[in-house]
Amino acid sequence: MKKDLISMDDLTLDEIKIYLEVARRIEAMPLPERLRVLPGKIMASLFFEPSTRTRLSFESAMHRLGGSVIGFADQGATSVSKGETLSDTIQTIENYVDIIVMRHPGEGTARRAAELTDLPVINAGDGSNQHPTQTLLDLYTIEKDLGRIEGITMAFVGDLKYSRTVHSLVRALMKFNVTEFYLVAPEALRLPGYFMMNDQPGRYRFIETESLEEAIAKCDILYMTRIQRERFPDLLEYEKVKDSYVLSHSMLASAKADLRVLHPLPRVNEISTDVDHTRFAGYFPQTRNGVIMRQAILSMHLGGRI
Amino acid sequence: MSTDKNVMLIPKIESGIVIDHIPAGFGVRILEIISHYTQVTDTIISLGLNYQSQRLGRKDLIKLQVEYLDPEIIQHISIVVPGVTVKAIKNFAVQNKVVVQPPHEIRNLLHCKNPKCISTTEQAIETHFKMVDPASKKVKCVYCERIFDLHELKLKQVF
Ligand SMILES: [Zn+2]
Repeated sequence: MKKDLISMDDLTLDEIKIYLEVARRIEAMPLPERLRVLPGKIMASLFFEPSTRTRLSFESAMHRLGGSVIGFADQGATSVSKGETLSDTIQTIENYVDIIVMRHPGEGTARRAAELTDLPVINAGDGSNQHPTQTLLDLYTIEKDLGRIEGITMAFVGDLKYSRTVHSLVRALMKFNVTEFYLVAPEALRLPGYFMMNDQPGRYRFIETESLEEAIAKCDILYMTRIQRERFPDLLEYEKVKDSYVLSHSMLASAKADLRVLHPLPRVNEISTDVDHTRFAGYFPQTRNGVIMRQAILSMHLGGRI
Repeated sequence: MSTDKNVMLIPKIESGIVIDHIPAGFGVRILEIISHYTQVTDTIISLGLNYQSQRLGRKDLIKLQVEYLDPEIIQHISIVVPGVTVKAIKNFAVQNKVVVQPPHEIRNLLHCKNPKCISTTEQAIETHFKMVDPASKKVKCVYCERIFDLHELKLKQVF
């Protein structure tokens, strides 16, 4: 196995399946037993920019495997803000810990950090480049909810142009032989064309539609994302489209019985709260799966006993 | 191929390096590249322009009185003018020759265009690109993973 987890592009389908398998085993373990997976191990949680959810998810994962955590939540309080180089930061912290989890606005920073240390480095987000643990937890959630990944019909809604989460998940699903994608996005935020061009023309179907209902009727997973007002050059345009991408309970009338709604969270208003207590809502279990997947990742990269 | 007439114009060298099959007009460009490297600072270099070539119609030619050419220099030439031939000459004969092709990996020569890339913001980091599609000359930054056309990337000031 590779020392680090930096980019989904580094992983083969078989390697992705190993992460899923280890996550299943972790989930099946009784909690007291999980506490014996990584006793005495220390994780550095280096968040050069704040991301509360991801950080807490990793820290919870480590604590619940019996390990402990040191780190920072924001570089403002560290020597980095005094101009310390990445190289110095890594070469200092590597003396304190067994594994490094890092989030940084600079794209490629986790890759660079991994070159600077022999310790495993886990990328918890590098700018708009990669966030592999999010993609792995999404895959785990889909597999758990539907019992399979291969051959499902996906729908993505919202900002499909800039969302790193969407891009990474689409690529991973294509590896799993998911071939049908419904795309619901405003004109300005459509999925970039290069996703639809690949070396096997005709194998994948990308169906762009204005209608959220049409996508709901067809898909197994409805993956919602946030539309950020800042993405629109014209605020009028934003006002015009923003409500077309809001999901409410009544819209799910035509949904398949086992459809699941997922969302990387935090949401603003794109899923109304009346969906929360329906059987379709998969986004809170999704965050729970995030902890399990991160436990799988930490134990695999630290050689824990599973 | 060189004709006897060409040999008159630039003398045959007993030993050294010949960069041949340079498309006409690019000889000066390659000379410019080479002259940035300290390896050849005190070397005798001759440049021939507009030779007749069966393959290219017209070609340029450069001879250097050095035993070998730094891989860095060859990498650099291969990116700017791929397809030229580098020949090592000993006792007036060609010892070996290579046709330089754009490399699979390009280290510390090009600047990443992404302003958010760690390789553009952090000092003391060597840039690193991988060729993802040799036909269209698309390269991917190993750090930020963005894909660029080779020609849109500027050279790093390493000199
Ligand atoms: Zn880059």
